[in-house]
Amino acid sequence: MKKYQLGEFEEIVLLTVGVLYDEAYGVGIKEEIQTRLKRKVSVGALQSALRRMEKKGYLKSREGEANAKRGGKPKRFFVITAYGREALEYSKDVRTQLWNAIPEVALDLKMV
Amino acid sequence: MIKHIADTIFKWYCHPDFYLDIKGDLEELYSDHLVENKKKAQLKYLVDVILLFRISLLRPIFQNSIIKDSGMFRNYFKVSVRNLARHKMFTAINVIGLAIGLASFLLMYEYIKFEKSYDAFHSDSDKIYRVSYVRVQNSMDTDKDAMAAYPTGKILEETLPEIIDHTVSKKFDFLLIKNGDKSFKERLVISADPNFLKLFNYPVLEGDIESMLSEPESVVLTESRARAYFGDADAMGKILEVVSPYKTSLKVTGILKDIPDNTHYSFNMLVSDKTLEEGQDYNNWDWNNYYVYLKSDREVDLAVLEAKANDAVNEHTNNLDKDENWKTNGTRLDIHPVRGIHLKSDFTYEPQIHGSEKAVDFLIIISVFILVIAWVNYINLSTARAVERAKEVGLRKVIGAIRKQLIIQFLCEAFIVNLISALIAIGLAELTLPYFNQLVGKEVIDSVWNQLPFLISIAAFVFIGTFASGFYPALVLSNFTPISVLKGKFQNSKKGIALRKGLVIAQFAASLILIASTFIIYQQVNYMQGKDIGISVDQVVNVTVPESDAETEEENIAARNKLKAFKKELANHSAIESVGAASNLPGGDVADINSTTTVVRFAGDTEPTEGTTYIQYNDEGFLDAVDMELVAGRNFSEAIKSDSVAVMANEAFLRRLNVPDFASVVGKKLQFGTRETNTKYTLVGVVRDFNRTTLKEQVEPSLYFPWFNADDLVIELSSNNYQAGLDHIKDTWDQFYQDAPLNYSFLDERFAALYDQDRSFGDTFMVFAILAVFIAILGLYGLASFMSVQKSKEIGVRKVLGASESQIIFLFYKDFFSLVGISSFFGFPLIYFLMNGWLDNYAYRISFPWVLLVISLIIVLVFSLVTVGYQTLKVAKLDPAKTLKYE
Repeated sequence: MKKYQLGEFEEIVLLTVGVLYDEAYGVGIKEEIQTRLKRKVSVGALQSALRRMEKKGYLKSREGEANAKRGGKPKRFFVITAYGREALEYSKDVRTQLWNAIPEVALDLKMV
Repeated sequence: MIKHIADTIFKWYCHPDFYLDIKGDLEELYSDHLVENKKKAQLKYLVDVILLFRISLLRPIFQNSIIKDSGMFRNYFKVSVRNLARHKMFTAINVIGLAIGLASFLLMYEYIKFEKSYDAFHSDSDKIYRVSYVRVQNSMDTDKDAMAAYPTGKILEETLPEIIDHTVSKKFDFLLIKNGDKSFKERLVISADPNFLKLFNYPVLEGDIESMLSEPESVVLTESRARAYFGDADAMGKILEVVSPYKTSLKVTGILKDIPDNTHYSFNMLVSDKTLEEGQDYNNWDWNNYYVYLKSDREVDLAVLEAKANDAVNEHTNNLDKDENWKTNGTRLDIHPVRGIHLKSDFTYEPQIHGSEKAVDFLIIISVFILVIAWVNYINLSTARAVERAKEVGLRKVIGAIRKQLIIQFLCEAFIVNLISALIAIGLAELTLPYFNQLVGKEVIDSVWNQLPFLISIAAFVFIGTFASGFYPALVLSNFTPISVLKGKFQNSKKGIALRKGLVIAQFAASLILIASTFIIYQQVNYMQGKDIGISVDQVVNVTVPESDAETEEENIAARNKLKAFKKELANHSAIESVGAASNLPGGDVADINSTTTVVRFAGDTEPTEGTTYIQYNDEGFLDAVDMELVAGRNFSEAIKSDSVAVMANEAFLRRLNVPDFASVVGKKLQFGTRETNTKYTLVGVVRDFNRTTLKEQVEPSLYFPWFNADDLVIELSSNNYQAGLDHIKDTWDQFYQDAPLNYSFLDERFAALYDQDRSFGDTFMVFAILAVFIAILGLYGLASFMSVQKSKEIGVRKVLGASESQIIFLFYKDFFSLVGISSFFGFPLIYFLMNGWLDNYAYRISFPWVLLVISLIIVLVFSLVTVGYQTLKVAKLDPAKTLKYE
């Protein structure tokens, strides 16, 4: 069953869009990921992930206001759609199930 | 700048729907980074733009085209990559061939660009011209001399309105300079007037361009020479002591950036020409010893300018010397653009060895050959694989692929092969660059990375290569009808086979041409080096004694006696055969000798003989030291008083005067000019012709005058004990001239150095010929292996019917024999046409070596037969039971 396809990076981006709620646009998302996850994100990877997920219907976008710092170019804000939220919850559920399925011995062993 | 480029790129590829807001993000990040460091911010911006190049963000490539669907587009790539990965040999042969081909093409291209860039760095370089004199006789150019008379420039600037500036400059053989206890023999010294730096605008590091050459005894150095003399200290205002050939001191008034390699007129040191004023006649129209340059204010028609300049100069000089008509009558000015000098000049007395347009043309041909051979490999191998891929094509068509899609699919494959090759080619070019620079003997470029045009042309070649090599296979492969291929009736088309054969013939012909040309070039160079030049310069050492700084007559006599004693002491050793001295050493540059275009005739003769006469001064020992043969008469002798007006001539000189019997003219008197009162020189001897300079030139008609104090010594060492001879020279030198450094050189090395350029041309040619042949053989290898695999069934049947392995191999050979035969049919005339033309550049050349053509043919045959034979043998050895199992 291939109901939801969500790559690891996509999941992070999607979550971050959720975290930023109404303030999620390119540079904002990029900086949020960089500060929270201490992980470098290239504009290219981010933008193509955003567009991809928009195409899949996980995200929708609206055009924001333009400002001088951006050379008069508008911001594009992203919000998670209901479908996107479902996808996130699905991947979270899958992980929880997997976590729960790990026998305790396996975890214990790792700690030795 | 970087940002601007990045912007353009980004706008070009980004999907218009996304452009505005992503651009906004980029700008925002840029303005954040800008606070730290502008350059870094720009670079980060560029990196971001490059990372944004992703399929999901690309604009649709062709509106309304099938590629619009990026998913399908990706599929083409995927299938191509898998296909290439599965057929490793096919891919490897193509990639290796293309990478080598592209790398060598691009390096060669850089070299050709370098050769063509000579003197282009002057601003307004296309408005700068050089004036030279050409002697015309019976409307033929007899002497083309790059130099002109000093006043020419001034007169032309005054009379022609389009000439806005001129400069006159002179080249020294060398300056011997003392700075403290260090002494330098500085070559590449020129003198010039203050206009020189304005006309040529070399970048000035220190000093005032208006004044740095206006005072006498000023010198301008290049950066690296200034460092050599004064280290890290400031050189400005410092004094250099010149000891020879003039005794003077020069004050450093300016420092220039080092002169680039790509100029026809290089220098390390620029002396103000006021320094030399005494002893020079700046109004002399007869003394063509200066390089005269003009600058115009607009593009001019050279023919018109030349005509006007000739009129102006003739009008001026006719008034000066009406009676001696040879000066103007029959002499014309030649004006040529400074940018054309390096490759196009056919003048003597060029300031330095210049390049040859022909050599550059040859290299262009060979580099194109290499690239085309590599592309041909791709075409051949791809179409040979057609049988293999026919089923794939049939299936795709049945599923519903249209022809356009298939073409794109195959072009995609070609693109990937070309792209990978290009990447390897860049690495290959960078790695081999030092060797390449060494090969061509010039620092063409130091790295491919800082050559933006180089990288751009790589990108261009990926696209050109994709179409050149991929288009035909794409057309052929996409053209199959599904029914026949899927039914298993498919065969290579006749047309395809004919084309493949044609291309193989072309490859063979190219290989033949390259191999034969390499042989011919080497044979000519070896011939020149090994030819009997008329004298023997083995074991002959040259030592130059320091110029005497005598001021009074007594000092002068003392210096002469010292030289005499020095020579005597040198000869006083069993390891030294003979000692001589001359004003010019054999094996020099064409320009390394004095000459005159004045009439030289026997006293009483009225018959005028015209042409350049070359003049050397030497002592009585010179003939012995270089084993120069006397044909008639006798050598000079210092003991004979009358020998102060003696002269010797060479055979070429007497031949020009139509003397049938050389002995008959010994004792006659020779005169320069037409006046009866001119000095009469007694012809005491006739010497055998010898080639003073390269064998590109004829033997020069020469006269030899006595000069017993000449300062260039030639010392012949005894061949069995030359180390002792050298030691003796060192000891004696220290005894007499301990102040000056001893520099000695061997004359045969001087002669060998004359052919450096030819040899480096031969080496370059050879390396690239080997590469081209290698690529061709590589292609042949691939082709043979495909064909033998395809024919494995036929071979199996033949074996079952009783054919032996050798019979089978011969079957394949027959094909290749005829291909090589046809290619030599086309190749041989081409080789003759090309290489005979090249050989005609040399006054002394080998006759066209037909046997080398046969040898080249044999080499090509052997290589291809081994390649083909190896592949065929593999298949021929297979057990027919295996190859026929499924039939």
